[in-house]
Amino acid sequence: MKFLSADSMRRFAVSVFLFTIFAVSAFAIPARPSPPRLVNDLAGLFSSDEVMALERALVAFDDSTSNQITVVTVNDLEGYAPAEYGTEIGLSWKVGSEKFDNGIVVLVKPKTSGSPGQVNISVGYGLEGAIPDSYCKRIIETEMIPRFRENDYFGGTAAACIVLMQLASGEISEPRDNSSDNVAGNIAKLVLGILVTLIIFTILFAGRKGNNNNNGKRGGRRTNSGDNDLLKGIIIGSILNSGSNHHHSSGWSSSGGGSFGGFGGFGGFGGGSFGGGGASGSW
Amino acid sequence: MKKGAVILVIVIVAVAGIFLWIKNSYNGLVKSDEAVNAAWSQVENVYQRRLDLIDNLVSTVKGYAEHEQSTLDSVIEARAKANQVRIDPSNLTPEDIARYQEAQGEFGQALSRLMVTYENYPDLKANQNFLELQAELAGTENRIATERRKFNEAARAYNTKVRSFPTNILASMFGFQTKGYFEADAAASTAPKVEF
Repeated sequence: MKFLSADSMRRFAVSVFLFTIFAVSAFAIPARPSPPRLVNDLAGLFSSDEVMALERALVAFDDSTSNQITVVTVNDLEGYAPAEYGTEIGLSWKVGSEKFDNGIVVLVKPKTSGSPGQVNISVGYGLEGAIPDSYCKRIIETEMIPRFRENDYFGGTAAACIVLMQLASGEISEPRDNSSDNVAGNIAKLVLGILVTLIIFTILFAGRKGNNNNNGKRGGRRTNSGDNDLLKGIIIGSILNSGSNHHHSSGWSSSGGGSFGGFGGFGGFGGGSFGGGGASGSW
Repeated sequence: MKKGAVILVIVIVAVAGIFLWIKNSYNGLVKSDEAVNAAWSQVENVYQRRLDLIDNLVSTVKGYAEHEQSTLDSVIEARAKANQVRIDPSNLTPEDIARYQEAQGEFGQALSRLMVTYENYPDLKANQNFLELQAELAGTENRIATERRKFNEAARAYNTKVRSFPTNILASMFGFQTKGYFEADAAASTAPKVEF
């Protein structure tokens, strides 16, 4: 009797355990990445250099326009339609900002001997106007699938991201103001603060001296404009850098080093929502 | 005198507690009710989007497929029917939802039959407008599926509140009624099975 009850208890525990597993994995999309990252190559299609280059470019794009493009590769869609799977990732990871709903999910399931390759682009509410479904379809048909057919998964994904960036930045282009996350921004602010303090001190000091009043002021101004030039240089450099990313994909793997935006790393997904916009394709 | 004061304090605390409970529960009900309404209007939007695609479809396919006039007519008829089914968003009873889903489902089926027949026209299949329309239609089906799921989630959250104790007492006092759900099986049969 005792033995039986222990056995049934065990059975009960096992069934509860199994039930919990099934309940949790009712919609088995990958968990939100922690630490957050935009390139989630779960199927292992890219080399580590490619992942880093793509991640840097997408983070820089997120920093400069607040549009979040996340790339996810999986080996199995668990029986779901690619559009459903991609939309669910967008919804549960909350890709894009809450204010603009400007997230994009690029989902790639590679072709294997037993199953067709599948690809989907899901577009958040806020970008549906800039990137209609037919554009997504065309990106998939012309940029991605031809390259995927030749096993060039990175080339196809990167080319699609470039087009998506161009389309998205036409709609929403709001630099991200993540002062707490952006290390580079903080350093720039700190340097600026020190310079401003120095200038004020210089002016005050010169003012006290009286004699060299003009000289001191001029010197102060000069420092100030030099500082502006430096900042301008950094900003222009980062824009040019991301601009070169847009134009030729050969620059992807080498471009990351000088990228200003890549400095701070990805700050995390926002609160973006998806309504099922986008398109999918298979090959 | 002291005893009276203690009783007074207890009564005040009790009244304040009941007031706070009613306020929070009632406002919680209103909030979820609004969430359901918002989700419903999104559902209507995406269904309307599908109905609106027809004009574009007709003007695109005109001239390519004269032989399919009867199929086209049946789609237009189904659309007129679906357009007539309007639902009071403040109720959304299970019967309302079922009626709405049925009318939209009939339209979806007619549309899918139409899209399948057009697969027989190579000229049309190569037409850029038609290809874009197909992509829009596929996207609209995804949107319908997504918004229906979101509606069901909002309705489930609301229904759980309305039916659980003790909020159900308040809900019945103020006339909050449970909402209907979209049924999943119909979704599979209405979505046009067109391989793009």
